[in-house]
Amino acid sequence: MTQLGAFKKMKELMTLYYIEAKTAADKPVAWLTSGAPVEFVYAMGAVPVYPENYAAMCAASHQSVALMEAAEAAGFSQDICAYARTDFGQDLVRGGPAGGLPAPHFLVCSTNICKTVIKWYEVVARKYQVPLFVVDTPFLHDGLTPGLVDYVVAQFRQLERFLESMLKKPFDRDRLIEVIRLSRQATGLWRKILDLGRTVPVPFTSLDAFIHIAPIVTLRGTPACVDYYQLLYDEVSGLAERRVGSVSDERYRVLWDNLPIWFKMRPFEKFFGERRCALVAATYANSWGGLEDFAGIQTRDAMEALAVSYLNIYINYGFAQRIRYLARLIDEFGLTGFIMHSNRSCKPYSVGMYRLKEELSRLTGKPGVVIEADQNDPRVFGDAQVEARLDTFIESMAPAA
Amino acid sequence: MFAPFYAAIADISATIRRHRDRLGRPVIGVLPAYFPLELIHAAGGYPVQLWGAGVAIDHAEAYLQPYCCSVARSVLELEMRGSAGLIQAYVFTSLCDTLINLRELYRRLFDKPILGLSFPVTQFAEGRRAFLADAAEKIIKGLEAVTGRRVSADALRAAAGQFGRVRSLQRELYRLRRERPGAIKNADFHAVLKAGFFLPVDEYGRLLEDLLVRLESIAAPAGRRPRLILSGMVFDPLEAQRLFDEVGADVVDDDFASGWRTVSKATLPVDDPVEGIATHVFGGAPCCCIHHPEKDRHDYLVKKIRDAGADGVVFWYVKFCEPDAFDRPQLLARLKQEGIPATVLEMDLSMKSVESLRTRIQAFCEMIGGLEI
Ligand code: SF4
Ligand code: SF4
Repeated sequence: MTQLGAFKKMKELMTLYYIEAKTAADKPVAWLTSGAPVEFVYAMGAVPVYPENYAAMCAASHQSVALMEAAEAAGFSQDICAYARTDFGQDLVRGGPAGGLPAPHFLVCSTNICKTVIKWYEVVARKYQVPLFVVDTPFLHDGLTPGLVDYVVAQFRQLERFLESMLKKPFDRDRLIEVIRLSRQATGLWRKILDLGRTVPVPFTSLDAFIHIAPIVTLRGTPACVDYYQLLYDEVSGLAERRVGSVSDERYRVLWDNLPIWFKMRPFEKFFGERRCALVAATYANSWGGLEDFAGIQTRDAMEALAVSYLNIYINYGFAQRIRYLARLIDEFGLTGFIMHSNRSCKPYSVGMYRLKEELSRLTGKPGVVIEADQNDPRVFGDAQVEARLDTFIESMAPAA
Repeated sequence: MFAPFYAAIADISATIRRHRDRLGRPVIGVLPAYFPLELIHAAGGYPVQLWGAGVAIDHAEAYLQPYCCSVARSVLELEMRGSAGLIQAYVFTSLCDTLINLRELYRRLFDKPILGLSFPVTQFAEGRRAFLADAAEKIIKGLEAVTGRRVSADALRAAAGQFGRVRSLQRELYRLRRERPGAIKNADFHAVLKAGFFLPVDEYGRLLEDLLVRLESIAAPAGRRPRLILSGMVFDPLEAQRLFDEVGADVVDDDFASGWRTVSKATLPVDDPVEGIATHVFGGAPCCCIHHPEKDRHDYLVKKIRDAGADGVVFWYVKFCEPDAFDRPQLLARLKQEGIPATVLEMDLSMKSVESLRTRIQAFCEMIGGLEI
């Protein structure tokens, strides 16, 4: 993994963010899903908190098992998404690297990543007796249509009313436009950074991206987020120009599909590094960078553009569109194969994946592999089995030209 | 009395084939849940409800991981192994993440038409309406393309009448079960419901009417046995329902998606199809899969238990069903607070033997007290 100067800055940024969130006594705290339109929340001056991001941090720092066990002891089945279990656990025992999240005053949940978050947030809403606002961003079985954009924009208007009642002040549309601008700037920079993955050797792998993803999830819409990704971009583009690779002597270039396995970041870095295999593009990291360009969708204003970007998320795509998108990544990033993480926690990402693998291989002629794992629960991870599958896969690839 | 219902489910393919040939309507397989079957009927189709099956998973293993629920896995298994040849098209709703992806998987795997109706999740009536207006138009067109017939206002009205009548007859059966505990065996009751998944509406309605007449004079057996309410997504496996009869407990009501949550739906309003679909999806009993802040599942279940004079609740948990699993701990806590005993049974529709459930049911009933030993 590339040792980036920006890493220290990110640590500071995230520490500061969690301290502020936990000490913002005068501001209401909102819990949000990663795909919720946070711009509205920032515009009104509430403090957004992301249980998914926190759950990932807990797993990356090897604290998720204890928290999930606490949730399971309270009756939550091991069958439910490990992010939710980690969250319920941190809430019960005030655990994890920040000693638990601040209690929410209200919740905003968006269905673009899954329907599971509705259930998760219903549990939180009931526990804290706080209102839950759902922004419905329907699954794109047949692509994006103007009707869907209108539907989401109409909900944005309702969200404004909801926030007015939560914060007891009129909605600030001007401020919203400013926040959207900042948010777009940050996601634009993030996309530019990820696009540098086209460089051979790749200066910033998907594992690097997973490490540096926290600010785009939690802070998009703030000036600090823009500054941070500008810094990161400058650094990574410098590496790209000097042709400095993240993996030494890069030989294979692969795509990673589905969430990271947060508790395996270091071992994976070593594993792939030793095999001269770089993870170059990841659908998960791309989800915050604006994806497909939808021909025929013209947006008239910032609200519509925002609606499009929240509908336009990889796991919100129908399979035909997923396959097209994956094939495009393989082509544009010069990839030699692809890894799909069949994630026990995440059904919207994983159900049907074996079919996607077959079709994508057929379409691109590139080998692919599916590994069985979980983003947050090391108890269901079999090292030997996963490594054996990955080794067979890596051996089956033709090195990059 | 129950023989025609058992006959209908003894060989489901034979039942469907016979009625399809009689009616000359294309068979359309409907996945869980709450799709207004009236639309299919009005389009000239013959809807059959696919709530999963007790088959061993073999072919479906290739595409659905073991962490998917057995409802999804078994329905896919039937199609892949060639047992669903009668089904000409499938209809999905957006009930859960698994089904949303399964719909996509079907589109990639099979040549049959795969139709779908996504439910809006917003609380706002206007948004719902706008969304459903598009969705309704699409699904109706899709159905018309499968059957080659138009959905006329008259046909829809007639279908609404027929299906509404069937649900009201089913509610009558529920009332009998509640008011005369033990008069209808639990296995029989569920055989009646299950037959309704596959029989066409005319035939099923006739059988139900006939059954209710015969049941009129039936009395509850003397004595009081433990009275239970079951809650879950699907009431299958049917063999497991028999266990309550054998253990000596009376199921007096339920909260199954394949049971009361569907049966409780009012007659489909047809003057405005869009409004009708919204009423159908969001009306009736609450469901863990339908986000509805004004319909509290906790209060609902507590009231249901009290109204039925039940002694306890059995959660009928089909493994890996997240919508069901998320709600349970808080529901259990509430029941505890109310002093209502509850237990959770985990199952899999493809389980080879239901015997392990017997001991659990027995133990729970003993805990409640009132078992005749
Ligand atoms: S991991 Fe998957 S199921 Fe869990 S919250 Fe994220 S998108 Fe939803
Ligand atoms: S049982 Fe649960 S997970 Fe399975 S299809 Fe039904 S709602 Fe979805």
